[in-house]
Amino acid sequence: MVIVPRNPEFTTTAPGTSERVGNRTATPVRLCGSLAACRIARVGLNAAAGRRWRGLPEQLRDQMAEAMADSYSQDSEPTTRTLLRRVLDTADTRTPQRRRSARIGAQKSLLETPSSRRLSISTKTNARQRSQRARSIGRLAHVQISGHLEEQTPRTLLKNILLTAPESSIMMPESVVKPVLTPQVVQSSRQESSQSSLELQLPELEPPTTLALGPVAPGRRKRRLRLSVFQQGIDQGLPLSQEPHGNASASSLTSSLNLTFATPLQPQSVKRPGLARRPPTHRAVDVGAFLQDLRDTSLALASPGNSLRTPVATLPTDTVLEDTQPFSQPLVGHSPSVHHSLPHLFYTEAKDAEKAVGHRTQSTGPRLQNHSPGKPAQLLATKAKNFTMSFTNTIRAISGKDEVEPLQGGVSEEAEESMEVNLSVSKVKDTTGTQGSVRTEKSERHTEMTEAVEAKEPEGSSDEDISGRTASPELVSSTTEFLQARQLPFLESAPPPNTAILSSEQLEPLPTRLPPRARTLGPRPHQDPHKTGLNHYVKLFSFYARMPMEKAALEMVEKCLDKYFQHLCDDLEVFSTHAGRKTVRPEDLELLMRRQGLVNDQVSLHVLVERHLPLEYRQLLIPCAFSGNSVFPAQ
Amino acid sequence: MALSTTVSQRKMIKRKAPRGFLKRVFKRQKPHLRLETSGDLLVHLNCLLFVHRLAEESRMNAYEAKCGVIKKEHVQAAAKVILKKSRG
Repeated sequence: MVIVPRNPEFTTTAPGTSERVGNRTATPVRLCGSLAACRIARVGLNAAAGRRWRGLPEQLRDQMAEAMADSYSQDSEPTTRTLLRRVLDTADTRTPQRRRSARIGAQKSLLETPSSRRLSISTKTNARQRSQRARSIGRLAHVQISGHLEEQTPRTLLKNILLTAPESSIMMPESVVKPVLTPQVVQSSRQESSQSSLELQLPELEPPTTLALGPVAPGRRKRRLRLSVFQQGIDQGLPLSQEPHGNASASSLTSSLNLTFATPLQPQSVKRPGLARRPPTHRAVDVGAFLQDLRDTSLALASPGNSLRTPVATLPTDTVLEDTQPFSQPLVGHSPSVHHSLPHLFYTEAKDAEKAVGHRTQSTGPRLQNHSPGKPAQLLATKAKNFTMSFTNTIRAISGKDEVEPLQGGVSEEAEESMEVNLSVSKVKDTTGTQGSVRTEKSERHTEMTEAVEAKEPEGSSDEDISGRTASPELVSSTTEFLQARQLPFLESAPPPNTAILSSEQLEPLPTRLPPRARTLGPRPHQDPHKTGLNHYVKLFSFYARMPMEKAALEMVEKCLDKYFQHLCDDLEVFSTHAGRKTVRPEDLELLMRRQGLVNDQVSLHVLVERHLPLEYRQLLIPCAFSGNSVFPAQ
Repeated sequence: MALSTTVSQRKMIKRKAPRGFLKRVFKRQKPHLRLETSGDLLVHLNCLLFVHRLAEESRMNAYEAKCGVIKKEHVQAAAKVILKKSRG
């Protein structure tokens, strides 16, 4: 065949290695700015696998046609020649890198050849001739880096194009090429072969990486794909010998590879389930146990020193807890009310938390929250008795608030549930008995609100009793679920430090009273913020101690802090009155610290301030001179 | 104001002073008295030192009892001493 250079201006470099040119296996496709070439190469790869040369030309033609059409969208005749011409026109005529010089030459030669070989594409012999020419071209390429191709084959031309193609277009063409490749099936065999040979390298390198990347995260996959592509581009010249072998596999792989190339572009969010937000799982079982714990704690709280604190607090919490009993069925309906009531419960219980009982409850509370439903149930069962008894006492001491009753009912109900879960019939009976007694007591006491409250109580109690008793296993599961569900809202709603305290206190089982809980949130109990503040110092204590501590010890620390605050206020009052003031000034504080022995002649207050307080507080306390003859804070 | 600082300990200790809490406590105890703005910071400092001393004393008690965990008894004994000291 006579090689007629299509584009005189086209200077191609002979392919580096003859074997590369001869091989039809695709080399890594690197189309220089011309997506068409890539597409063609891809299609060629796909089509070239196991195909005879006869079929290739058509495929290549189609590929080239489409590629050219895409690139130019001008020629009506999608012939190999026109396509290649387009490719060549658009292809960069820059000299390829040394390692790619061979390929570029081959590509260019290939591109140039189709024009001359258009007619003979369909023949098998042409293919052979092309390969031969490609080889010759390859040899020539070695000699001529930049010059006319003696033989122009579609393969060589395309190879040149691919070699000279910018590296950046590797990824893009792949994705873009893929949609184009599929429609392009019929192309010139040479083009296909060349393209496939050029592109096979990419798929060759890609499949092992992409296939291996299957299990890898998509992010890594993308990175590795890019790397593989890059590597392919680098190694274009190397695995040309592998092209023929890889042809069959590569062609099949290319399609898959093309697909894989496309896949990385897909939203990685789908492939990264870890990034997706997971809805909080709510298990009814946990909730139930949690509520049971709450009852236990509430009961425990109610038992001690109710006389000292407002006993009303326990009642509302109890009722709240009790309402949460029937999780098995009316979980949804009760949940909102429970939410309202539980914070109530927390607050009230916080108030009633007697240290003697709180000691127990707090220890059990946090544990209960963390333990499985079984454990809290057991703990609750053990304390149910005490709680019920204490609750009865507290109920008598109740001053009478409408909130109390519902809480009591709730707590008693919860206590009931816990009891049932433990399958302690005796306790359940006791609780029920106490509940009844409590209810009666409540009704006797409160005149105005009792009616409304107790109207709820029997309803709630009856429902809870029935549901609780009949579906103990259900309750367990439902309660646990509810516990979980409640834990989340509790944690969200209640202040973080409060939850720990309140939960521990709530776990104290309240008496078996199950009066209807008041859905409205009452006034916040005194304990809640107070406990929060105290907890702050308790944490500091545990930090300073640097040793593991018991919960009982922490509660002891709380008591000590309370006493300390009382002493502190008394002393400050004495000092300020001694100075004839009604306002406590920092001087009083300094005097106090001096008397405590913290401040002496060696250690001044400022030293202590600098030592223990953060900078912002230091600036407020220690007068410092600033520019402009000003002192802050002003003395 | 100062935010929580990460300490070497596993816990995150907040260096912030619960000024509202302190003011509330003082108001509850002595409603007829007033506390100055900087006063509560010094009160916070006083609390820190008290808690520090209490913790040290408790640690000593636990260590003397050859116990790896601070127990309630240790804290109680320490509280007795420290409260007496900080009576002023």
